[in-house]
Amino acid sequence: MLMPPFELHQPKSVSEACTIAKELMLAGDEFDWIAGGTDLIPNYKWHINSKPHVISLAGIDGLSEISMTEIGCMARLHDIAESEDVHPIVSDAASKVASSLIRRNATLGGNLCLDTRCFWFNQTEEWRSSIDWCHKCDCGTGADCRVIPNQNELCVATYQGDIAPTLMVLDASVHLIGPDGTRVMPLVEFYKLDGMTRNVLQPGEFMLKITLPDDVADWTGSYRKLRVRDSWDFPEAGAAAAWKKGDRTTLRVATTALESIPRRHDTEVSESNGDVKAICDAVFKSTKPVNNTSLPPRYRRNMIKVLIKRACEE
Amino acid sequence: MVGEEHVSMIPAATSKVWSAEVNGQKHEVIAKSNSILLDVLRDKTGCLGVKRGCDMGTCGCCTVMIDGVPRLSCLTMAHEVNGCEITTVEGLANGSHLAPIQQCFAEHGGSQCGFCTPGFLVASQALLNNNANPTEKEISCAIEGNLCRCTGYQQIVQSIQAAAAIHRGEADAVTSNNAAHSDPHPDGPEM
Amino acid sequence: MSKDYVQQAGMNKDVRVDGKRVAGKLRFNPPGSGGSRPEMAERDLEFIPELEGGNEPQPAGAHSHDSFRTGTTVGKRTPLVDANAKVTGQAWYGDDIRLPNEIIGRIVRSPYHYAKVKSIDTTKAEELPGVIAVSTGVDAPSKFGVLPVTKDEHAMAVEKVRHVGDLVACVAATDEETARQAAALIEVEYEVLDAIHDPKKGLLDVDEPIHWRGPYHIGSTNVQKRVFQEFGDRESLEDTTKAFHNGKWKFMGVNHGFTEPHAVVAHWDSNGRLQLYTPQQVPHYAHRALATVLEVPMHQINVIRTFVGGGFGGKSDPFPHEMCAAILARKAGRPVRITFDREEVFWVNRGRHPSHIEVKINANDDAKISGFEIDALIDGGGFASFGHVTSYYNGVLATAPYELGSFHYTGARVWTNKPASGAMRGHGAVNTRCAIEVGLDDIAEKLQVDPIDLRLANLLPPHSKTITGFRITSNGMRQALERVREGSNWDEKFRKLPIGKGIGIGCGFFISGSGLPIHWDPHNFPHATVHLQIDMDGGVTVHTGAADIGQGSSTAVAQVVAEVLALPLEMVHVRSHESDTSPVDLGSYSSRVTFMNANAAIGAALEIREKLLNAAGEMLELPPEKLVLNDRRIYFKKDPTIGVSYLDALHKSQEDIGALIASGAYRTPPMGGVHKGAAAGLAPAYSFSAYVAEVEVDVDTGLIKCTDVWAAHDCGKALNPLAVEGQIIGSCHMGLGQVLSEQMVYGRTGHLQNPNFLEYKIPSVHEMPNVTPIIIESCDPEGPFGAKEAGEGPLLPILPAVVNAVYDAIGVRVNDLPLTPDKVWAAISKKMKREKIDDARDLPVPRLDFSELQKKLIKRSAEHKIRDSRRQRREDEGPYLNGVLFGLDPTLPPEEQDETWKISVKPDSSQLDNLGLAGTAWTKKEQRHMEGGK
Repeated sequence: MLMPPFELHQPKSVSEACTIAKELMLAGDEFDWIAGGTDLIPNYKWHINSKPHVISLAGIDGLSEISMTEIGCMARLHDIAESEDVHPIVSDAASKVASSLIRRNATLGGNLCLDTRCFWFNQTEEWRSSIDWCHKCDCGTGADCRVIPNQNELCVATYQGDIAPTLMVLDASVHLIGPDGTRVMPLVEFYKLDGMTRNVLQPGEFMLKITLPDDVADWTGSYRKLRVRDSWDFPEAGAAAAWKKGDRTTLRVATTALESIPRRHDTEVSESNGDVKAICDAVFKSTKPVNNTSLPPRYRRNMIKVLIKRACEE
Repeated sequence: MVGEEHVSMIPAATSKVWSAEVNGQKHEVIAKSNSILLDVLRDKTGCLGVKRGCDMGTCGCCTVMIDGVPRLSCLTMAHEVNGCEITTVEGLANGSHLAPIQQCFAEHGGSQCGFCTPGFLVASQALLNNNANPTEKEISCAIEGNLCRCTGYQQIVQSIQAAAAIHRGEADAVTSNNAAHSDPHPDGPEM
Repeated sequence: MSKDYVQQAGMNKDVRVDGKRVAGKLRFNPPGSGGSRPEMAERDLEFIPELEGGNEPQPAGAHSHDSFRTGTTVGKRTPLVDANAKVTGQAWYGDDIRLPNEIIGRIVRSPYHYAKVKSIDTTKAEELPGVIAVSTGVDAPSKFGVLPVTKDEHAMAVEKVRHVGDLVACVAATDEETARQAAALIEVEYEVLDAIHDPKKGLLDVDEPIHWRGPYHIGSTNVQKRVFQEFGDRESLEDTTKAFHNGKWKFMGVNHGFTEPHAVVAHWDSNGRLQLYTPQQVPHYAHRALATVLEVPMHQINVIRTFVGGGFGGKSDPFPHEMCAAILARKAGRPVRITFDREEVFWVNRGRHPSHIEVKINANDDAKISGFEIDALIDGGGFASFGHVTSYYNGVLATAPYELGSFHYTGARVWTNKPASGAMRGHGAVNTRCAIEVGLDDIAEKLQVDPIDLRLANLLPPHSKTITGFRITSNGMRQALERVREGSNWDEKFRKLPIGKGIGIGCGFFISGSGLPIHWDPHNFPHATVHLQIDMDGGVTVHTGAADIGQGSSTAVAQVVAEVLALPLEMVHVRSHESDTSPVDLGSYSSRVTFMNANAAIGAALEIREKLLNAAGEMLELPPEKLVLNDRRIYFKKDPTIGVSYLDALHKSQEDIGALIASGAYRTPPMGGVHKGAAAGLAPAYSFSAYVAEVEVDVDTGLIKCTDVWAAHDCGKALNPLAVEGQIIGSCHMGLGQVLSEQMVYGRTGHLQNPNFLEYKIPSVHEMPNVTPIIIESCDPEGPFGAKEAGEGPLLPILPAVVNAVYDAIGVRVNDLPLTPDKVWAAISKKMKREKIDDARDLPVPRLDFSELQKKLIKRSAEHKIRDSRRQRREDEGPYLNGVLFGLDPTLPPEEQDETWKISVKPDSSQLDNLGLAGTAWTKKEQRHMEGGK
């Protein structure tokens, strides 16, 4: 399949990347960042929201550091999965992403910034024309949402990344950089509840790395992924749990693939006083997946109870 | 739409020099900025052994080795691998002698229709280059990104195990069976 | 065997010590023949049948080809003859054909499910720089279709589009980018019509049926084909006192999922002949359709089958895009290449029909299957394709391997506004087979007997006739069941495993080649023809039209020729790609190639063999029947030192009679009944299979993991065990996909939601169970060296085996394939609610207490085993018709013995109210019987 026409920019340093971004913005040109390309390239081949310029981060050195407390945005998921230095929950989640070949290309930054997905949206241009487009990629037609018709306010496409929930329960922070400098925030604040906005990244901004608290090695837990095949498949639902070894009061739970963003369930956990069954029920109540992935939403919603229960197993 | 055409108004991408060492041979071609490696390999370097199955990373037919790492050429921007060493299925044999992995795929039924075979061969060779004694689990993980519709994978796994034994020196490679005897167009038409 | 017969050259007592007498060590003089091996190989007695003095056991008795066995290659694990091309990346598939000056074609497709094409404006596209040719439906008004009776396709829409993705126009331009742009510039005006997506609605009268069949149109419905078959007494079904099963099933459509997308290159050469390169399973039918659509004689077209990157039935129709490429190339005067995106592959489809199937089975007091009824409504999508045949296969291929008291089938295939369904591995038999085998599991449970014993006590014997008149020859069903029972340790596991673990059985029955060719003109046309020619240096070229689609048909044909002529395999070359050089072959469908082509090849090779032996006999002054043909040498049976080399005999023969060429052909023997539809499902032989599957079910999530499969398949004789095992394991994989995860999902709006390999879930290496392939050799009397098919039949049993195993594991039956985790979980949850259980692990799982019947069955199957063995070895050659088990006399037709026995292909008026879902198609009248019909 043919790529839409675009210009690929290949900066060698972070500052060069920022300069290119700034120049394009000044010229009024739209652009995308490309890291591993495993998400962006299929979308581009299908002419989904493609831009005239793409800035590649692949040529920049120093963005793929891997350690217990810091992972660069260009660290390949294969390397994260294989690394002994990475927290086991994170490397386990990385090892469950797509397939071994895709993990060779895919990056942490790409996974965290994964575009949201929906079976009305992740289709070729010809296919989408047959449904008269959709809200998330309306091609200028003002098309309605196909999942929940008669509203074109919110996009309910699903975030199906595997790694975000594990980093959330380990209380990771993200480091962003853009033309206006860098900023740091907890990963839980990175996402924004809308399938189109997705996250807080401003135009020209990209993710540099994530950092984890110094005591992260003292934490334990696990990640559970629901999928039909043990290769290729995005999570139909996923749950991560972590707690400080020997101290269950520190329990944190996060889920993914249920709505437009991954979410950490601090309220549900604190209101349940650490009772896992109560947490499961509370998250079940507060989560409302929609019908836009391969398995039906009712099932995915019910499975979150099983996944959380299993993720919390010691 | 429907009814009105939807034509992207973006200007065409610029062309640049793309150079890489493909199967030990230096290639320098002009490729558009937005080129995908798979297209460059098939259309510009003549590596038609690299197959396009799904174009989105879910079949593995287009797997090539880039600096020794197995990667999906359909999900790789061509210009990002400028200057790299690329090995495709055409580069696995040593001259006219089949690599053990090729020979074992032929002998153990690892290839039926053969369309996914190039991808499987490259992915397995990459595994064996780093690990001549892979467990069954390690083999499965190495080929989990490759889709085969014919074999049900079992004979592929057996082929890789047999090739690993040759790599370890535990089994002999059959020397008489070589690529030179393979007719490039066995039973091919005159074109 | 006479007592002074010396089988092994050089093995007699008088071996001379100088070595020269040891035939196995004789060197060939240059230039010799046989390439890399300078010495003659010894006869491989392990691969020569016992009855011919070798060591190969023949439990199923003798075969007419036994005396031509030379121990060269048949029965040996043989790599595919084209394997080297495949492992070096040199195999050339559709998109690998790059002709000089080529241009790229692109197809414009319908964005609507169902619409009239009002007008097409191609002006803007034609004006775009780089566009060379544009074509629309007016350029090719002739209809085509794979079956002559249902030609309903056009190269591009002529009047209507019938599904999203249906072809409307096509363009060719200097590059892909321009072609895509031009395609987007073609302006089409549509008038949208009411679309139908639910096959049940296809049974109703509508204003605008998807196709119109004139006087034969059924009402004004979308029914494309309806079938009614009744054999025996329907009332036997109404006795539901002993054990009665009624299963209502839903099967989602599945796609072949071959890895190579369709691609075609068309080129009109300097002589004005069309050279068409296409990955076709059935090049001959494409050839015919091209001639019709392009309006040129067939001899002006050369169809070149490229390597085929997987077919499975999905590359067996003549395709509209092949026509498009040819039309564009003719207009452009340049080669045109069209390659599909994966999504387009799903839009062409021809996969397995989405089906609603109802199966009713009842068993009598002796646990005999007295009543048997199938009702199958199949969703054909927008075109007929192979659907006519599929409509029959859904019923008639269920008439074996069991002996039935009666058989009733109603089937209907309807058009809907979806991509066309067609033939896919296990054509038409897979879904009903699953329903039946699960039904038998249920019957066994109700009778409190072991389901394997139930089957063993109800099998048709070898050399018998089914209830609808199919002639069964060899039959390895019993051995298959016995072997999987033993291999899986069934008796220790069945109904004894803890919750979440289960084991299940399923059987299969499939045709080995179809008795009637699709095109039967000219009458008595051979099904397969093979030409042989031999070079001066002894190399053999085999010309066949059999399409190797990865199953190894070229290898099988090369093997049988090498076997008969005792030549090393590398001396045999198969040329099968071009219609210019190949004799007509009907193609790779219906599992016909090994059976028919190899038989034709054996015929040709025997002719050569005879000429060689005659020449050698003259040279040695010995009668040819006293000569042995071994590796490149022909010698006297009693003294191997008296002999001539193959090459000398060949040269002598060429001196005497000129070039050494031969042609062999295969036709099926006359067989089958005379009722309407009697030809559907007729085959010269049938394969049988039995699988046991073991599964683990996660009772919390409903996820199923199939861990082990014991897969026994009766392929008659494994010409190449490596390939047979590959087919068995590959079939398991494909069937497992259908039972666990694969489905073509048509959503709320009727759009195909998953036309890609991410959402269309073909099992990965992790989902594959450990498969133990078990080859059963029943030695078919008419098969080449005894062989039958192994490509499709092995797919059938895996579905019911897994479904039955899931029931064994969780005690819940789910009759809706695929068994995706949500459905299994919902079924578990429902049961938990009903039984008021909180933890799924506390669910009761089925257990088995044998009833009195069990002993009866064991006794009956022991008797039948002796019966079967005698019949298999032809020690008992008496007739056997289905019904003997129920007390009928095998020498008389059943209708003459039993007043209630009916044979009917049309329901009588009293039956019309009592028909199943598909049967309701019979309540409509054909237009010709209607007053004032359209």
